[in-house]
Amino acid sequence: MSENRLYPGLNLGATHGEAHEQAETTVFGFWVFLMSDLIIFGILFASYASYLDPMGMAGGPGPSDLFDIRSVAIQTAFLLIGGIAYAGVSLTLKYMQGRGKLIAWLIVCALLGAGFLFFEVKDFISAAGKGGTPQASGWLSSYWMLVGLHGLHVLSGILWILAMIVQIATRGVDDVVKVRLSMLGVFWHFLDLIWVGIFSFVFLVPLA
Amino acid sequence: MTKPNTGVLDPQESASSEIRSYATGFVVSLLLTVGAFAALLSDLPTAWKIGLICAAALLQIIAHLRNFLHLSLAKGQSEEDLLLVLFSVCLLAIMAGGTWYIMSDLSGRMHETSSSGAPVDQAPTR
Repeated sequence: MSENRLYPGLNLGATHGEAHEQAETTVFGFWVFLMSDLIIFGILFASYASYLDPMGMAGGPGPSDLFDIRSVAIQTAFLLIGGIAYAGVSLTLKYMQGRGKLIAWLIVCALLGAGFLFFEVKDFISAAGKGGTPQASGWLSSYWMLVGLHGLHVLSGILWILAMIVQIATRGVDDVVKVRLSMLGVFWHFLDLIWVGIFSFVFLVPLA
Repeated sequence: MTKPNTGVLDPQESASSEIRSYATGFVVSLLLTVGAFAALLSDLPTAWKIGLICAAALLQIIAHLRNFLHLSLAKGQSEEDLLLVLFSVCLLAIMAGGTWYIMSDLSGRMHETSSSGAPVDQAPTR
């Protein structure tokens, strides 16, 4: 590990000069935001765990009535592969392998994220159909809040990816775009990390 | 291993080591995810299942931090990032862990009778 790392995520490296230096403060600031996001998610996990008893479910539908383990597995696969696909973006950016390849990898990430969202929304709709609406019980309120907030993050990640594709196409891969792509990478991998907590503690533990 | 530390990196070499790091992270995450789902579908006792799922989640989070977010305890990592993560985890442990502990303790004390389904017969012995 002889390379000096200035910030989380795959660093651009010294060959990128100005952008590498610029990324240090900007990505660090973004990392501070993500850590505050982590606190929000952590608190929502704690309230979900607190509601996870017969009192919290208040006679409403429970985990075994609402959760579909196959759909959770599909969503996990989409997000895990979507996360690893961003490695393609980071490496293409770092070794300057061209605009087309960069955009292609970004599209792969966005499509996998969209696939994840499709199954998540489908699950939400089927849960609501079985009476699992947020107002049914405290446990369901915390479930919709936690998983819904993560879904919103994924949606904003997809919008961000689309915005970056437009920027790459119009202004090229300049220093500003490089820094923004570094931040997007940290964000995208962070969502993957939160999902590990969600599929384990929200879906698998109550079903065990 | 024994190459001179000139500060000049061979891009080809560093690219392949980065790809290897991502690939390791992916394989480890995949195995831990499949392991967690397999634990759920197995015939183990519930406590074992929960223990295995939690252990797999913890390990996978570490793998994500190391291989995808490139945070590590090694030298060469900027110290502020690591301190920020450790500080946030500390805050989270106090707030989320504290919330969970207090609420489960409270629920244990208040809903003892209703969760077991039977009223408590024995009167206080004092």
